[in-house]
Amino acid sequence: MRATMEPTRSCHATLVDLLDRVLDKGLIIHADIIISVAGVPLIGVNLSAALAGMETMLQYGLMKDWDECIRSQETEHRRALMATGSREAIAQTNLASVQR
Amino acid sequence: MSLRIQQSGKAERKPAVETNVKEEGRYLYCIVEARERVSLGEIGIEGKEVYTLPYEDICAVVHNCPAQPYRSDDHELVEAWVITHQKVVEAAWGRWGVVLPLSFDTIVKGETADSVEQNLKIWLEQEYQNLKMKMERVRGKAEYGVQVFWDLRLAAQDLTETSPEIKKLDEEIKTKPRGLAYMYRQKLENLIKKGMETKADECFKDFYLRIRKHAHDVHVEKTKNTEPGWQMILNLSCLVHKDKCRELGEELDSINQLKGFSVRFTGPWPPYSFVGSA
Repeated sequence: MRATMEPTRSCHATLVDLLDRVLDKGLIIHADIIISVAGVPLIGVNLSAALAGMETMLQYGLMKDWDECIRSQETEHRRALMATGSREAIAQTNLASVQR
Repeated sequence: MSLRIQQSGKAERKPAVETNVKEEGRYLYCIVEARERVSLGEIGIEGKEVYTLPYEDICAVVHNCPAQPYRSDDHELVEAWVITHQKVVEAAWGRWGVVLPLSFDTIVKGETADSVEQNLKIWLEQEYQNLKMKMERVRGKAEYGVQVFWDLRLAAQDLTETSPEIKKLDEEIKTKPRGLAYMYRQKLENLIKKGMETKADECFKDFYLRIRKHAHDVHVEKTKNTEPGWQMILNLSCLVHKDKCRELGEELDSINQLKGFSVRFTGPWPPYSFVGSA
């Protein structure tokens, strides 16, 4: 049997992962029946930034452009998803980002 | 009727009466596949009773609250809210199998208890096809977080040893007088920086493709660094079929075995990253 990694969900180690998901992700409803917090800084953004700690490798100057590039492609990919709802579109943008 | 958003700096959430907000709210945890109005008990945020509001064969999982957002500057309090949100979603996920989790602090409003439920039902009706489609997309699957880190010191060392250009420059520095050596060192640092960026990019592509094979869908997340000496070079959310989780674990184990690399594998999470908007 091949060695395998087991995913972890132990409480403390994954709190940041949990906050990232619950605060920044999940189904977003665009409807006027929803209380809007638009225009008001979201609790989640500040909180997850504080918790993640801003210890970064920016002193090395590494990855910043690279990261931004990947992010903008990711945004495009999401738009493609919203526009078409098709998995093909997502697969193509994913591939494009890799073959870039 | 206008709604005032409470933004007090106090730890406790201010009661609605103080701001004259008379509107009713329903805090939304998730959408599930169920037909009945049932209670899940007092497991909600601040011990609120959580129950389902059905439309056809889908239900919103909610609790009753005033029509104002939960906000606080007290991180511990917010953390507790978020953890409770997650626990409710988990409970619904365990019970009904398919779940579309909402973001924290999604609250439906209405002028009265009846109208808020009516609003929610109309919304479920309008979005029915869309929600069902999303449910099909995540059925039988769970989300996993995959993060790959590399040891910066080892990576730089490896580069210095393997790049002829860098190696040559490194040798040259030793023969230069101090002032000049300083300029050479800067040049060397830049070369290492560039080399590492290229290498990280290559690793990203390689790992991404290896992981992608085992997932139904993958989202590239922003990398962030929390551990000194280690740099996150890849951060993915993966939507993985239950039967494929082991395969993915094997692939990740082989990446984790590579010298100078470390993998974090978290989950299973409800599919937060794969539900989009409605």
